[in-house]
Amino acid sequence: MVGSQSEESGEHDQQTVVLEVCANGVCMKTTDVEAKLDEGNIQEAESSLREGLSLNFEEARALLGRLEYQRGNVEGALRVFDGIDLQAATQRLQATVSEKQTSKKGRSKNDSQPTVPQHAASLVLEAIYLKAKSLQKLGRLNDAATECKSVLDAVEKIFCQGIPDVQVDDRLQDTVSLAVELLPELWKQAGCYQEAIAAYRRALLSQWNLDNDSCARIQKAFAVFLLHSGVEASPPSLAAQIDGSYVPKHNLEEAILLLMILNRKFCLGKIKWDPSIMEHLTFALSLCSQTSVLAKQLEEIMPGVLHRVDRWNNLALCCCGSGHNKAALNLLQKSLHKHEAPDDLVALLLAAKICSEDSHLAAEGVGYARRAIMIAEGTDAHLKGVAIRMLGLCLGKQAKVSSSDFERSSLQSQALKSLDDAIAFEKSNPDLIFELVHRSVGGSVLKGWRFLALVLSAQQRFSEAEVITDAALDETAKWEQGPLLRLKAKLKTSQSLHTDAIENYRHLLALVQAQRKSFTPSKSITQAEDDKVNEFEVWHGLADLYSRLSPLERFMCQGRGQAQEALYAHINSFLLDKSYVPCKILMGALLSKMGANALPVARSILSDALRLEPTNRMAWYYLGMVHRDDGRISDATDCFQAASMLQESDPIECFSSIL
Amino acid sequence: MSEDSDAAANVTTTVPSQSLSNESVSKTQLAIQSLSSILTTAPPSLFSSINSAFSLLHDHEISSQISALLRQPDSGAGDNDLCRWFYDTFQSDYPHLQLVVLRFLPAIAGLYLSRISLRKPLAGFEAVLLALYAHETTSRDNQSITVSIPDLSHPSIYHESREHAKNNSTELNLGVISPALEPHGTVRSTRRARIVGVALELYYSKIDIMPVESKIEFCEFCEVWSGQDGEMYKELGGVVVENGENQETVKRDGRIPLPWELLQPVLRILGHCILGPKKDDKLFDSAFSACRSLYARSLHDINPKAILAFRSLLRLINTSLDPKSAVDYTEPSFSNVITI
Repeated sequence: MVGSQSEESGEHDQQTVVLEVCANGVCMKTTDVEAKLDEGNIQEAESSLREGLSLNFEEARALLGRLEYQRGNVEGALRVFDGIDLQAATQRLQATVSEKQTSKKGRSKNDSQPTVPQHAASLVLEAIYLKAKSLQKLGRLNDAATECKSVLDAVEKIFCQGIPDVQVDDRLQDTVSLAVELLPELWKQAGCYQEAIAAYRRALLSQWNLDNDSCARIQKAFAVFLLHSGVEASPPSLAAQIDGSYVPKHNLEEAILLLMILNRKFCLGKIKWDPSIMEHLTFALSLCSQTSVLAKQLEEIMPGVLHRVDRWNNLALCCCGSGHNKAALNLLQKSLHKHEAPDDLVALLLAAKICSEDSHLAAEGVGYARRAIMIAEGTDAHLKGVAIRMLGLCLGKQAKVSSSDFERSSLQSQALKSLDDAIAFEKSNPDLIFELVHRSVGGSVLKGWRFLALVLSAQQRFSEAEVITDAALDETAKWEQGPLLRLKAKLKTSQSLHTDAIENYRHLLALVQAQRKSFTPSKSITQAEDDKVNEFEVWHGLADLYSRLSPLERFMCQGRGQAQEALYAHINSFLLDKSYVPCKILMGALLSKMGANALPVARSILSDALRLEPTNRMAWYYLGMVHRDDGRISDATDCFQAASMLQESDPIECFSSIL
Repeated sequence: MSEDSDAAANVTTTVPSQSLSNESVSKTQLAIQSLSSILTTAPPSLFSSINSAFSLLHDHEISSQISALLRQPDSGAGDNDLCRWFYDTFQSDYPHLQLVVLRFLPAIAGLYLSRISLRKPLAGFEAVLLALYAHETTSRDNQSITVSIPDLSHPSIYHESREHAKNNSTELNLGVISPALEPHGTVRSTRRARIVGVALELYYSKIDIMPVESKIEFCEFCEVWSGQDGEMYKELGGVVVENGENQETVKRDGRIPLPWELLQPVLRILGHCILGPKKDDKLFDSAFSACRSLYARSLHDINPKAILAFRSLLRLINTSLDPKSAVDYTEPSFSNVITI
């Protein structure tokens, strides 16, 4: 049965068409009856029907109620229905049915039995149903639900075995189907969600002989309710569970089950195509990261329902979402073929992204990205930056497998330029900035992190640099943490957190010594050098730290025992390394504090350091001190100025440390 | 019917008066007293009402005062009175007071995540978020939340299967919605999204009791987080939507990283706001708008799962806006001849 299309069209019909009522072989126009109803005279209307069509009281009332409802006068309908004792009527029906059933010992196959009880039942139940609808339209939702529920209760009592397939007349079946569908809707509208859940399950788990379409509508409505109501339904009762069958544990499982059943029904041709079922299923399965299951569901749909390009693209998203990039790319290659839809921006971007992760596919990805840049116009203009970013990533990846140095450096510079261009489009995208950093440094993610931390430290944002360092430590294996620990120790030192710094240096020292002892031949030398910290650097860091300590702190540190002596020993042995700038500075600094005689030596050592590293802030600073102590105030000023200018952009370690 | 009164009706039905023990009443009174010292003016109704926790949740006046305080520049600091109040109130372990804290989670999480890059003090917000996270950690008891995807070749409560199960080895696909929680005492940058995400999962579990303003706030923050304008996706799905008010496109600067552990609860909450059983036009519009922005963002991130999920939501919205979808199948069919 199909519901009336809409209220408006119904009313429109009533104005032009005269209604007729027919019963017992007689038909009469309703004009007179309607006039009486309009005057508010129900009894007269009723008696004219009873006389005209030889009906009993209840039949006449039911007919009148229906007439009022059909005319759109729900208040009038309600007044008429209130006049019938529907409860008594249903009880009478139950009595007749059960009598009949006991006398005949079950249902008779030979259905010659007059359908009187069914007919009467149908009339009464339809009246209750219309009463519920009238109440719904008046906003009395709880009352409506109670009435509607009484229809179902009555049906269950009358047909205690459920509704038999053949024996029910169409009209009764229609009313039952409508009531089954309406009840959960009413509870839902009334805000009684637990009742709604019970009503949905009752609709779907009991025998109502529903047709495929209305069953599908209820299943879909229930799935949507389970997915989005935010009310957790308790699992279905044990009575509903059959051995070995799948019983959903919670809302999401139940919703997915229902939606998958609906998809299956469509595939078997039992219901017509409803695209929203697939959308709900897509939402639910993506939510729990089961896009591979979604792909299977999409594959079950026979060809022709979805356009093949949409199908391929959706499948590609599913595959990529579950990490099957290769399968995804195969699908995208089909859909982006020049005879299909080569200008689908999302497909192009996805293909470029997949290619950007594999150096052997990168060249192909460059092509996708270029096409994406070209077509990202109009409403898609906001994706231009994304396409340029993908181009940069693909070019960078391509450079890795390039056969000639010339080609490699050209690809790399193109890659950097693309990433730089992309920043203009996506200023606030930190991923992009990180990507650029990462590419510029041209190494591992670890280097990217370190670079970022150094940039932050250059901006004097030590605590944030520390956050980055911590994050990087989280992501890095113990063995490779050396440079990070060194960085962290220095950050702590800069923030005057000396105890923390010492703690970090101790960890670092332990790591460095462990690394020195263990020989790992499998690692190439360059790689090993890359993530290893020179033991000397650690000692130097400790020396620097120690020189900053206050006497009290120094005293506290004494307790740390032999570390101190070792420190001096190491400083002594390494200070002789003439080409090491920090040593020169340290020495210059120490000498500058040793009185006037030492000043010329200090000056020469510091100048030497500046020759090797002209942007070293500390060298300028100590040189300034030397000048000052020597009375050359204007030279001192120049040096301090240089030092302070450099300080504003001085990272905690030299940027070259990660190259 | 407004959602608010509806939600109100809901709560009153679920809160029988006998559950208001003396202890909980005194906890509530304590919370109200300390709140009134933080707010500029506490409405007198607050002190007189019988179920005060309930009015704390739904009182518009109080909510807007709290919201305004929350939006002050240094509201997230460790010594912030309001944050302390949220923390203490949640720790009271009285469920109805905890709901009041959850009601403001959208604003707390929203401000918190957007302010991280601004280098503002956030210890106060973090304390509240960690309290919610710890609550979930305890109540989940080291269990992850999973979904086992049915295999239709086996029968279920809703269908029979004619295919005889070839073998009994049910290869169920198990999806993990939310992995088991490890306790965290501080918010580290790599765990931040997870901690906020779990707090949002807790919010979602109470979402049908939350006032509509709270949900609208959430949708607004989603838009900020996305850092994208989604206007161009108004017509996704083919149905042209009338452009109600023409909002000028503001440059958005609250963009945050959106990993799946945040996006997933966001999706569920937005799904509820759009397709949930209670209809509220204003909420629907905000959620629709948030959904568009996040769809645009998922394209920027080329995040396949997010693209699929948000695109489906947008298509479902457009289907629901299509007048053709409004057929009422529970209306009986009529002919001009009524028979018995």
